[in-house]
Amino acid sequence: MIPLAQLTTSDPRLQALSMTASDLPLAGGPGPRGLYVHVPFCVHKCHYCDFYSLVETGPDSRRPAFTDRLIEEIRAAAPRVPCPLQTIFVGGGTPTLLEPGLWARLLAAIRTHLPLAPGLEFTVEANPDSLEPELLDVLVRGGVNRLSIGAQSFNPRLLATLERRHDPANVRRAVGLARAAGITNVNLDLIFGIPGQDLDTWLADLDEAVSLEPLHLSCYSLMYEPNTPLTARMRSGAIRRVDEEVEAAMYEATIDRLHEAGFEHYEISSWARPGRACAHNLLYWRNESWWPLGPGAAGHVEGIRWKNVPRLGDYLRVGPLPPITDVEQLDEDGTVGEILMLGLRLTEGIGEAQLRTLLARGRRGPQRASAIEQQVAAGLLARRDGFLRFTRAGLLLADTVLAEVL
Amino acid sequence: MHVRNFSIIAHIDHGKSTLADRLLQFTKAVSERDARDQLLDTMDLERERGITIKASAVTIHHTWQGEDYQLNFIDTPGHVDFAYEVSRALTACEGAILVVDATQGVEAQTVANAYLAVENDLELIPVVNKIDLPTARPQEVAMEIEQVLGLPAEECLYCSAKTGEGVAELLDRICERLPPPAPPETDKTRALIFDSRYDDYRGVIVYCRVFDGALRVGDRIRMLGTGRHYTITELGRHTPTPTRVDELVHAEVGYLVASIRALEDVRVGDTITLDTDPADKPLPGYREPKQMVFCEFYPATTTGDSGRKGEFETLRDAIEKLRLNDASFVFDATHSEALGFGFRCGFLGLLHMEIIQQRLEREGGVEIVQTAPTVSYQIVLRDGSVKEIHNPADLPDPSTIESVREPLVKLEIICPTENIGDLMKLCDGRRGTYKGQRFISQTRQMLDFELPLAEIIYDFHDKLKSITRGYGTMDYEIIGYHADKLVKVDILVNEVAVEAMSLICHRQAAEKRSRAILQTLRKQIARHQFEIPLQAAIGGKIIARETIKAVRKNVTAKCYGGDVTRKRKLLEKQKKGKKRMKMVGSVSIPQEAFLAVLTTEQ
Repeated sequence: MIPLAQLTTSDPRLQALSMTASDLPLAGGPGPRGLYVHVPFCVHKCHYCDFYSLVETGPDSRRPAFTDRLIEEIRAAAPRVPCPLQTIFVGGGTPTLLEPGLWARLLAAIRTHLPLAPGLEFTVEANPDSLEPELLDVLVRGGVNRLSIGAQSFNPRLLATLERRHDPANVRRAVGLARAAGITNVNLDLIFGIPGQDLDTWLADLDEAVSLEPLHLSCYSLMYEPNTPLTARMRSGAIRRVDEEVEAAMYEATIDRLHEAGFEHYEISSWARPGRACAHNLLYWRNESWWPLGPGAAGHVEGIRWKNVPRLGDYLRVGPLPPITDVEQLDEDGTVGEILMLGLRLTEGIGEAQLRTLLARGRRGPQRASAIEQQVAAGLLARRDGFLRFTRAGLLLADTVLAEVL
Repeated sequence: MHVRNFSIIAHIDHGKSTLADRLLQFTKAVSERDARDQLLDTMDLERERGITIKASAVTIHHTWQGEDYQLNFIDTPGHVDFAYEVSRALTACEGAILVVDATQGVEAQTVANAYLAVENDLELIPVVNKIDLPTARPQEVAMEIEQVLGLPAEECLYCSAKTGEGVAELLDRICERLPPPAPPETDKTRALIFDSRYDDYRGVIVYCRVFDGALRVGDRIRMLGTGRHYTITELGRHTPTPTRVDELVHAEVGYLVASIRALEDVRVGDTITLDTDPADKPLPGYREPKQMVFCEFYPATTTGDSGRKGEFETLRDAIEKLRLNDASFVFDATHSEALGFGFRCGFLGLLHMEIIQQRLEREGGVEIVQTAPTVSYQIVLRDGSVKEIHNPADLPDPSTIESVREPLVKLEIICPTENIGDLMKLCDGRRGTYKGQRFISQTRQMLDFELPLAEIIYDFHDKLKSITRGYGTMDYEIIGYHADKLVKVDILVNEVAVEAMSLICHRQAAEKRSRAILQTLRKQIARHQFEIPLQAAIGGKIIARETIKAVRKNVTAKCYGGDVTRKRKLLEKQKKGKKRMKMVGSVSIPQEAFLAVLTTEQ
């Protein structure tokens, strides 16, 4: 095993050639509780997306090769997964672009090689246009019990602004097909703050989503990520960013509207029917462990974070475990910072007892404690019922607050 | 043997240094092979900028009508920031060569320097240089010289320092026309210090002209102004290489070494006499250098605190070293809320400031953040006393102030006739008083104004150049202090006064300047969780206001695929940005905001 200090080179290409997850000091612990699988294929690249994905169609597609390679990776990772997995999340990209035959092999490999807990939450991200009964059947039989559908908006004009190519009517169809196949645990992803959107058109989108009776809703405000066409268009003046006041109003209206509709607001941008919070996402917010599979997938086990190489070519070439990059093991202060950053995103907040323990760790404890007090005094954090949590005003300024306590 | 002591005076770039080199070559003082361009300017910076910062003296020999002439050429700084040094150097001469570019004609500094020479009773030899250039118009330029300075056009010598044409005639003319040195006034030894420089091995090297008596190696000397005593260990002349001599006698020019440790122990304009047999009266004209323009220098680094301290020390060393070579700039350690530790420096003028800044960066290897220049103010207090300040923060309690005086300059501008209207407007907007206008040629005029130094130290020269498309030139001379309605403007951020941003300006300009500053600040300070009022106030009365709106929403949702590292790094970046900021009350102000305020256009 290579000492971790030597592994944290910043050149991803160099790392990519030099190490895999088997070089990480991970043995001996309880191992990951979840699994994240990244499927990097898309029909078309949406203009706001900065995730690793490839537009590959036709007979020369590398999808079969990718599936073979992924199964090989699952086999190789299996010894690192000693305890039953509580959650699996297949994201992308567009996982539903994999043909049903490939899905069947992938799911079989997962069931064969990995230990799965009885109450496993198994989510697959779905594009409304590429969800067909045949595929759904394969997914359900393979153990998938949750679908996350990228609706984003029901307004064709706004979808066009995002360069999102699905037919909004297909969202309703996809939800219907999922139910028919036996998947009731459906999430819809929605985006607000799209150029050209006002409060009313947003609430219309939200109402339409609620009317589909999903058990979970993720409402994100549109992010202008660097190096995306959307950001370039905004900079060139081709599209205009929604005014911050309007965005704030949209967010607040979302909180109120979904509360009225019976959803619990459990994380900054996540709402669920009681008991239907996404267990996989909770792993992230509670700083727990999960194993990454597929190109560009990020993992976290035993306090070490890493990513698989992002490029499909590199991923396909080296195996059985893929080369990894961005390896990181934080010191005490860094770890506490992350736990606070992630934990405070949950609306229940962080329990006072846990908070005291956290603030006693590392050297920056007193500094953090005073930063927290300042935010409490500013009315952005509050202590209630033994928990430290965001106030409503604080939710709107979450990044500002988190940067202070990090 | 005959002696002639002379200077060359000219506007920048009119060919003074090239002509000097050519004179050395013609008299065989320098071989063709050794002739470097502009031999007399020893500093890189001088060579690059084409201006002479420090004077030196060179002795050459020329034969005229069969007789040997010792010609002592005293080089002078070319800019009126160094007017005092120029005037001391000119005092050491009996004549001066006035060089004017045959393509450019008479410029502002030509006039200023010529006046200085005339004030010192120097005989002038007008020379029209660069006649080899295709665009040269020597006759017209000669007419301009006659028009402006009253030197007959037919007496102008035409030459090209580049080709050597006319240089032999010039040497003859120096011998013929310049008066010989006046006979001694007293039998006591008196020598005028007109320059000095620092040498790492020998200490201070003093350049002097002997007016009465003689100096010999081993003599015990006394400086009449400072009262200090030294023993001469070396005397010599530059020919142009240093050549030791045993004595410097009446009318001669040379250098002196006497174990003088620091440049500040030697004052340009001071009189050297013999300690054993001192003169009663010093040579006239000595005064202390006076700093008129001030600014602050800070190390430019924005890295961590420890690195910053190192940068400060590098800057301090560089400043101290430079001070060894230039006693006319002064400095004091200072601390700015925003920029950390640095130095408040005083300069003779704008060019002087620019030169020091560049030399610090070049020779000291430090990158400098420079604040906008300010002037020195005289505060007349109600009890009748006068206090001099050059920092708005030092302004005493307003209730004790009778009046505030600021330096006034006489400004001469030479410009194309068609720009006169715009320049009048420019000067009018800068509280200028029009004093007169003189004809130079069909196409050019000279304008005279009086205006506050504070109005020209920032961007006036740039404005002049842009209005005249580069053809206008200016020169100024400080003529005194005058009282005006000057007020201190406080800048308040979220109700807290930020001392480092306060300024002194004219009451009438206060609103406009304040608004410009507040608008700059509004762009520089990031929005906070609360609304931030920005205000400008005179003695508690608000005269301008801007508001920075509160942040309404700053929350990112994505943590797709559990890429926690990326999320953390984004937040860390936000936080890191805040580290370089200065907290004023509950507001974080970036360093750049302080600088932006200090350089906001008037």
